[in-house]
Amino acid sequence: MDKKKEEKGLSSPMERREFLRKCGTLLAGGSLAAIGGVLGSRAKAAGGDTMWQIDPELCIRCGRCQTECVLPVSAVKCFHANQVCGYCDLCGGYYRANVKELNTAAENMLCPTGAITRRFVEEPYFEYTINEDLCNGCGKCVNGCSSFGNGSLFLQIQQELCLNCNECSISKVCVSNAIQRVPVSSAYKLKDKA
Amino acid sequence: MNTFLIARFPKPDFTSGYQYPEIVHGLPYETFWSWMDVAVLIIMLSIAAWAVHKRRSRGVLFTESVISVLYFGFYRSGCVCSVGSIQNVVLALNDSSYNLPLAVLLLFLLPLVFALFFGRVFCAGVCPMGALQEIVNVRNFRLSRAVTNALGFIPWIYLAFAVMYAATRSQFIICRFDPFIGIFRMGGDIGMIVFGVILLLMSVFMGRPFCQFLCPYGALLGLVSRVSVRKVEVTAKECINCTLCHNACPVDAIRPPHANRPEETRMTGVKRILLYLVILPLLTVGGALLMQSRSEVLAGANKDVRLMRMLNEYDAAPDEGMTAEVEAFYEMGRSIDELTVRVDATMLSFRHWSLIAGGIIGLALGCRLIRLSVKRTRKTYEIERAACVACGKCFNYCPQNKSKIKYEPQNL
Repeated sequence: MDKKKEEKGLSSPMERREFLRKCGTLLAGGSLAAIGGVLGSRAKAAGGDTMWQIDPELCIRCGRCQTECVLPVSAVKCFHANQVCGYCDLCGGYYRANVKELNTAAENMLCPTGAITRRFVEEPYFEYTINEDLCNGCGKCVNGCSSFGNGSLFLQIQQELCLNCNECSISKVCVSNAIQRVPVSSAYKLKDKA
Repeated sequence: MNTFLIARFPKPDFTSGYQYPEIVHGLPYETFWSWMDVAVLIIMLSIAAWAVHKRRSRGVLFTESVISVLYFGFYRSGCVCSVGSIQNVVLALNDSSYNLPLAVLLLFLLPLVFALFFGRVFCAGVCPMGALQEIVNVRNFRLSRAVTNALGFIPWIYLAFAVMYAATRSQFIICRFDPFIGIFRMGGDIGMIVFGVILLLMSVFMGRPFCQFLCPYGALLGLVSRVSVRKVEVTAKECINCTLCHNACPVDAIRPPHANRPEETRMTGVKRILLYLVILPLLTVGGALLMQSRSEVLAGANKDVRLMRMLNEYDAAPDEGMTAEVEAFYEMGRSIDELTVRVDATMLSFRHWSLIAGGIIGLALGCRLIRLSVKRTRKTYEIERAACVACGKCFNYCPQNKSKIKYEPQNL
């Protein structure tokens, strides 16, 4: 009797539709739970959020950081490791190559935005400072310092400015794959904190 | 000391008592904000579900839209969003070395879970992209159903491609071709901003062009809300077939009454179902194979594959000069063997994933064709579950929601 009733119930179009829908609900719920379970357990094990950062070891200063960032002025800035700097007067990151006179006239300056300033410390040493508000991440000074100096200037993504896009648009065109996701706990790759 | 430092000049020994400056590089509270996003998402989804099913209030949903555009859109600059998180999830499923943050997983799952219970309440006023289009919408110019059905298939194609490119670690195309992120950030790729502005101008005259004809996450939400526990209803009372909700719906999701009187015997019905069951696998396999035959071309979106092709071009014609990528490759002293191994692995995974992507497109096409040929009898105006974005426009138009007078349903 019961079985007959059930058969009758299922043969009516509305009931059948409802039954199929319930099956679908269970199927959809099940697959969502499965995805959540698999990835949730793995996410817990891996842990933590990530941010984009440049590995200065890989960076070859191609100059794309300046133009490819989604921000009007790139979030990539030049950082300076004072602990590594030679404090030279003739600085490869400050002056253009083959300058005739070592003075701060505009034609002698390597930085196109005037973001690098220097202060006399004592004979013969100068302290160099980057003004991040002016820096556009072009990497010209980094190239100069790496070619003729200790490599104390290097490019980093300034995390306070970075929008942390789901896929960094600079990383898509970075010629040396230097931009990768790093854990928040080590969001900078600094040269003087080795 | 790091290996990559070149100590050409010795560390200066200062005699004037110079101290090295202490430079602190700031860090945003990234973890805090990602959990804040999840919390705001849960609260807004709950309010939207309440506004759609209990309160039936367009006002609440519109307020939510404004908040969503301001918070998720302009303040949080739109990244990472639920729509884009599809790619992170696919990548994490395919590649266990990819670190998927729990917050991103929740951004992906929560709207789908809510859709399973309440329909597309995420689209209603929580998604900043849908909300932006909703806010500027004034008129409802309607395309014909045939055109809507054809264009409505684009999200599935988009989804299939997004899955393939994410799984092969090539590109996040949903993020790259996001038309509204440039508007939220007030800057970025000029082409996409123009596209976004065109979409917004369109959405003044028609309901949500992006949600209807592009959004891949909307396709998933629609699929889930087909089997949702609760269905979005125009009114809790009885429908009086007044046609007002039908005219108000911006996404044409409300179907008018329809008398279905098929003149067919049971046998023809059975035969038709059998035919569908043959066509569906054929379309799936056909789509899969067709897509796989183009996998070489599709793989061009991958960075390693592109580099390999540039190197080959350079070898073939060295006089034409190096691209920056080729120059970098030689400057870094990377070996061609290592690259070849990577490219081969990528090509193999492109062969697999183009098969899957083609299969998804074929299957979706087959299911859509079957759905279009199924006609059902409706006695009243009914909301189609998958198409309804729960914007709540119909609530205010329905006289049953407004009036204390009890209207008698009319038989059409």
